[in-house]
Amino acid sequence: MADTVFKLNRAGSIALVTIDNGEDYRVPTTLGRSAFASAVSVIDELERGDWSAAVFTGKPFVFCVGADIDEFGRIEDPRDGIRAGHSLFARIRALPFPTVAAINGACLGGGLELALHCDARTIASNVRHIGFPEVALSIIPGWGGTQLLPRLVGPEAAARIIVLNPLRQNRLLTAPEAVELGIADRLLEPVEFVDESLAFAASLSIERSAPDWSELETVLRKTRARIDDAVHGATRAPYAALDLIAGARDWTVEEGYAAEEQAMAELLVNPQAQASAYAFTVVERRSKRPPNLPDAKPRAVQKVGIVGAGLMATQLATLFLRRLEVPVVLRDLEQSRVDDALASIRSDVKPCLATIVDGGTGWEQFEGCDLVLEAVFEELDVKREVLGQVRKIAPDAILATNTSSLSVEAMGADVGLHFFNPVAVMPLVEIARTPNTTDEQLATAWDVVKKLRKRGALVGDAPGFVVNRLLTRMTTVLMDALENGNTVEEADEAILSIGMPMAPSVLREMVGPAVAQHVLETMHAAWPDRFPLTAPSGGGPRTLEEIRDQALAAVADEVQHLLAEGVVGDPADVDACLILGAGWPLFLGGVVTGARTTAALS
Amino acid sequence: MRELREVFFVDGVRTPFGKAGPKGQFWRTRADDMAVKAVRELLRRNPAIPPERIGDVVLAATAQVGDQGLTLGRDVALLAGIPHTVPGFAIDRMCAGALTAVTAAAGEIAYGAADVALAGGVEHMGHHPMGDDVDFNPRFASERLIDESAAVMGRTAENLHDLFPAITRERADAFALTSQQRAAAAWANGVMRETVVPLAVFTDDGWKVAERDEFLRADTSLDGLASLKPAFRAGGRVTAGNSAGLTDGATAAFLAAEETVGELGLAPKLRLVGYAYAGVEPHLMGIGPVPATKRVLDQAGISLDDVDLFELNEPFAVQVLTWCDELGISADDPRLNPYGGAIACGHPLAATGVRLIAQLAYGLRERRGRYGLTALCIGMGMGAAILWENVQ
Repeated sequence: MADTVFKLNRAGSIALVTIDNGEDYRVPTTLGRSAFASAVSVIDELERGDWSAAVFTGKPFVFCVGADIDEFGRIEDPRDGIRAGHSLFARIRALPFPTVAAINGACLGGGLELALHCDARTIASNVRHIGFPEVALSIIPGWGGTQLLPRLVGPEAAARIIVLNPLRQNRLLTAPEAVELGIADRLLEPVEFVDESLAFAASLSIERSAPDWSELETVLRKTRARIDDAVHGATRAPYAALDLIAGARDWTVEEGYAAEEQAMAELLVNPQAQASAYAFTVVERRSKRPPNLPDAKPRAVQKVGIVGAGLMATQLATLFLRRLEVPVVLRDLEQSRVDDALASIRSDVKPCLATIVDGGTGWEQFEGCDLVLEAVFEELDVKREVLGQVRKIAPDAILATNTSSLSVEAMGADVGLHFFNPVAVMPLVEIARTPNTTDEQLATAWDVVKKLRKRGALVGDAPGFVVNRLLTRMTTVLMDALENGNTVEEADEAILSIGMPMAPSVLREMVGPAVAQHVLETMHAAWPDRFPLTAPSGGGPRTLEEIRDQALAAVADEVQHLLAEGVVGDPADVDACLILGAGWPLFLGGVVTGARTTAALS
Repeated sequence: MRELREVFFVDGVRTPFGKAGPKGQFWRTRADDMAVKAVRELLRRNPAIPPERIGDVVLAATAQVGDQGLTLGRDVALLAGIPHTVPGFAIDRMCAGALTAVTAAAGEIAYGAADVALAGGVEHMGHHPMGDDVDFNPRFASERLIDESAAVMGRTAENLHDLFPAITRERADAFALTSQQRAAAAWANGVMRETVVPLAVFTDDGWKVAERDEFLRADTSLDGLASLKPAFRAGGRVTAGNSAGLTDGATAAFLAAEETVGELGLAPKLRLVGYAYAGVEPHLMGIGPVPATKRVLDQAGISLDDVDLFELNEPFAVQVLTWCDELGISADDPRLNPYGGAIACGHPLAATGVRLIAQLAYGLRERRGRYGLTALCIGMGMGAAILWENVQ
């Protein structure tokens, strides 16, 4: 990755500093070791020179996205890196003239900490990525973030931004939200952003009132309860971050820096931090690039058919309509079901799209479709029948199935497109190829998934694909425990203690016990030994630790089978599927890494 | 019979001009973004004109592709935040692009189609080298419709030296020196502060503020100019020193009808008296302003002596000297290009016209003059001239 350089130019009497890595917006600017060296020499010049103010900004579309995650694995003494940040940022804070961070684009982690060390902040109204993702990576914003943010916006907002947002799928702030919360002082139009930020710095006068600490105890109690709900104590970082925010009330900034250093030193040596960095890389980089995608040119999809008008089919139709903006037709047995689905879809999309979705009970409406996706009842014969009907009407269409566990090949589909419920929220789509899937069909499937703004994972046509297979295998351990006298609550608690986002019993209710049972039966038919329908292994109730360890071991074992069968090409694919499709926590790193992490922790 | 309406030049502004190419200050700045800056500054300086009252946005560019494509007037209006109800279009007459935008917009106003119009131009010659992607019709050469030298502006300048041997290399260099000296003085007084808006630009060295014309050479000397090699012909007379460099820049101006000036309480600077375009032999394109000037003076019934200020474009010293000799004006006449010209500030083709008008307005006010003339020569053999009356 390109080295980040701090570039100093003179704008009249104002120092204009650009944080730039010389690449375009697709390679965001990070703060690695070389960045610090260049930043130190710029600060030297700022301290020496005769400046009236300083403005820090980024290359177009990016302010700075913080520490370089690639350097995580190469840290010899974590304290060195923390101290380097504190010392640099403290010098910016101590500059004898007004300093302004002109936040022109993505501003995350260490980038936001740099901005917080300035006297004031302008922000371009189109910025959509502001926040502290550190806690999601099992660390804390340790370059003064936990100390300066609560001093600026108070403990409640600081706890939300530093602790809770990272636990909500890393929710980030938009520019108007950042201004509303008091992180930025002035919302500016992007068109003349740097010019106007310079003018803002030239006449800077900011009066700040002290933050309100009176509700600190309530904030701490409520935030702790929410952390417990999310991670059940399985990761230390959010609790540590909250303690540091609380400490900011009474500490000097220097004492706060020291506390951050201590916390980071403990968190960074924890395998969870390394695991998180790995998982983050898997999700952010790997799953965007298919390693084994054929070179074929994807077909232009200009009409889409959905077989079925149930809950899943309605969600799928809405997604295809909204993202592909091409005509979509639905088919179900009863017109009333179709009408309900159409009404729901039309109320959910912009008016110009509402006119190009239609449906009925006949097959002829699929004529001319480039892609038809079936989302009917999970029964092989039913699926085979409807796909056969579609094939007659639309012989050139790519036929896809949203089955969660049945054989794509056996039902006569060309490719599997397995979406997760709720469709609008879940980022993963398992794209299952059969021996008959052509390169063009696979390339089209990948292209469509990309246009739907989902993350595709290429998998083989094996029962349950990846996510359901692994979760079902985990369930067999829980069933075994239940049949041996453990309670549902104990099984839930064991899984939640790993850091999974949802209790298995809740998940089972959401998916529907019948569906879950159906998936299990499919898996059992394929591998009766590993997926028993009953589990008479005996031995009485297990401890929570035993359940947890057996569950992780079962998943790890099933991964070996997936790899051996070639269902996925690489363990990282499995991890991407689990993180994106099952909410597997980042701090576990993934399955293989995760098993190691859990062992190291216990 | 219908009466035409009087048209006024209200205000004009430009970006600093930059050297075209990877080393220039605008290399990583889009052409349309430069025009947006000029337009927004114009709006800011003229708060009495509600943006929704703009009847048309007429922007010129010679290369109407890439970051100068997409019918520039419309594109820039939307990017500048002007309401979508305001239309716009793009226009091209090469070096006289902005001047033609002004006369086209003036026509709309005079006819009653618009009350206020925004006119200007942009040329990013770094992104759009002259003649790039132009496909010359082979008939020009095979039928000898034009002399082959007509396609290269520097060669047309050499043709002028050939035609008028009295215009020597020494005279051209001396004129260039005056241009540089007058421009250096102009940056020290108010004219540039009043007509140039600085802008932050992203460069390989990070964000910078572009605030000066990059071609300015306050230290230019006759010896230095004399040492430069001819750029277009062995033994020729046209050098980098006595011609305008390849330039990036943008301009924008407001024009308004007489009754709108009254209605909005505007303080216009100039009244448009008349304008004329003329065609000449393409390989002698630099002579174009001569017939254009004569024609507009004839139209208005005004003699050259009545004109208090001339803002002529200076793509080549020889071109201005030709105009001087033909009209009997001394090359060092204080009425001619008092703030220097394109030799010192650069010539971003389709943007230049509004620079001339804005400087003319400033100069007429300073001198309490009455009439002023802006004129340019145009590639493929044309000339343009607008006659103005000071109303300040």
